[in-house]
Amino acid sequence: MQHCTPEQLALAALREPLPDADAAHLDACAPCRDEVASLRRGVDALAVPELAAPSAAVAPPPSVWAAIAAGTGVRTAPRPEVLAAAPVAPPPPPLAAVRPQAGPEPDPEREPASAPVVPLRTGRSRLLLATAASLVVGAGIGAGAVALGTGSDEGVAVAAAALTPLADSGATGEARVVERSDGTRVLQVDLAAADPRGGFYEVWLLDEAVEDLVSLGVVRGGREVELTLPPGVDVGEFPIVDVSVEPLDGDPGHSGQSIARGTLES
Amino acid sequence: MTELLERRPVRVRVGSVSTDADPTPGYSPEPDDAEVGRRFAAGDEQALAWAYERFAGQVHGMAVRAFGPGPDAEDVTQQVFVSAWTGRAGYRPEQAPLPAWLVGVCRHKIADTWARRDRQRRAAEAAITEARTAPESTGPQVDTAVADRVLLLAELEQLGQPQRGIIELAFFEDLTHTQIAARTGLPLGTVKSHIRRTLERLRTRLEVDGAALHA
Ligand SMILES: [Zn+2]
Repeated sequence: MQHCTPEQLALAALREPLPDADAAHLDACAPCRDEVASLRRGVDALAVPELAAPSAAVAPPPSVWAAIAAGTGVRTAPRPEVLAAAPVAPPPPPLAAVRPQAGPEPDPEREPASAPVVPLRTGRSRLLLATAASLVVGAGIGAGAVALGTGSDEGVAVAAAALTPLADSGATGEARVVERSDGTRVLQVDLAAADPRGGFYEVWLLDEAVEDLVSLGVVRGGREVELTLPPGVDVGEFPIVDVSVEPLDGDPGHSGQSIARGTLES
Repeated sequence: MTELLERRPVRVRVGSVSTDADPTPGYSPEPDDAEVGRRFAAGDEQALAWAYERFAGQVHGMAVRAFGPGPDAEDVTQQVFVSAWTGRAGYRPEQAPLPAWLVGVCRHKIADTWARRDRQRRAAEAAITEARTAPESTGPQVDTAVADRVLLLAELEQLGQPQRGIIELAFFEDLTHTQIAARTGLPLGTVKSHIRRTLERLRTRLEVDGAALHA
């Protein structure tokens, strides 16, 4: 039988599965296995979780910028409210040790305990909220979905979302988009959550990439509230209802601390 | 209702920060990431501050993932931005987005930190060995994986495109060659042959310099 092609052996070094016949050959052929092993040393050195593309963002403490300013002598500085952003959740624990045999692999235990922490407006990073969102938003779909009643006294519910807690916030709720006869739309939000100490809850619509967002207004736990949807906002484009805790810092941007989310379904 | 509990319809475009209630007057509209990258390369100090605002979280997240929260991770993050700034002449904005470049610098700093720890470990072990005067000992062993990483990250820097992007997707984003072809739009055969040649090149680098380094 013919040896595997050089390209296939390279893929095997990357631990990609080969077609059955080639895999069987590789199992039985010492020269091919040696070739894979020799190519794999570089893979094992570099394809380790510690060097993988960034996953959860963690805001460094302000002392880090101070050291950078001292080290570079620059006279500019990030905005104070960005520097002051502190992690809300314990950052992911370190990997126990370098594992030279392991490629980067998803490790659910390393998910941050809540949505990551850098203020959204400071970057375009879809990493920031996406990590938590990918798990939680998916889980929320269908689970306890709100019945789409028609004909509440005012308007028609055209979409609804069950809000499920992020991490251990415990916050739950429902949100529905109601279209009034005059064409205006509101988001009715019913949030079950303890009121935050020293801050308030704000409701947002996020796009699926978690790159762009629209602030709708403030909600209190245990109260139902109606928030007007700005004209021109397409809930198909911004299908995710997000509730964040906002500190009293005057910053209109998203704090990065989300407590509940759900996806609107019509 | 307090003022804070009133509705505040504010639309925030990530990256451009256009709000109709900006509480920090005096800030001019911010450039997009590409413009920040160009200004960074040109030495505009404001671009360093913007880069920190936008990307320090990702960089520090990597450092914390490698070392846990604390001084080691903070050192790495600091070093990434200081080295990126002092080495900005080596940054080519037309070749890579600034965050990708910073992430690459961060990989080097993480690998360097491992290597430094390994040297410290060997120094400590050597001191112990000497104290015991064990003549048969070959001395503390270099952690070859740690040394390999420093060497190979430098070799990756030497790769042109698209080879470098392809192997980074395989190594650091754990994509299969099929996924890489889909992501990059390159033919499958091209992706496979680049992967093969790059792995050969890394192997050669280890054979030539790895042995000397480990001797
Ligand atoms: Zn063979």
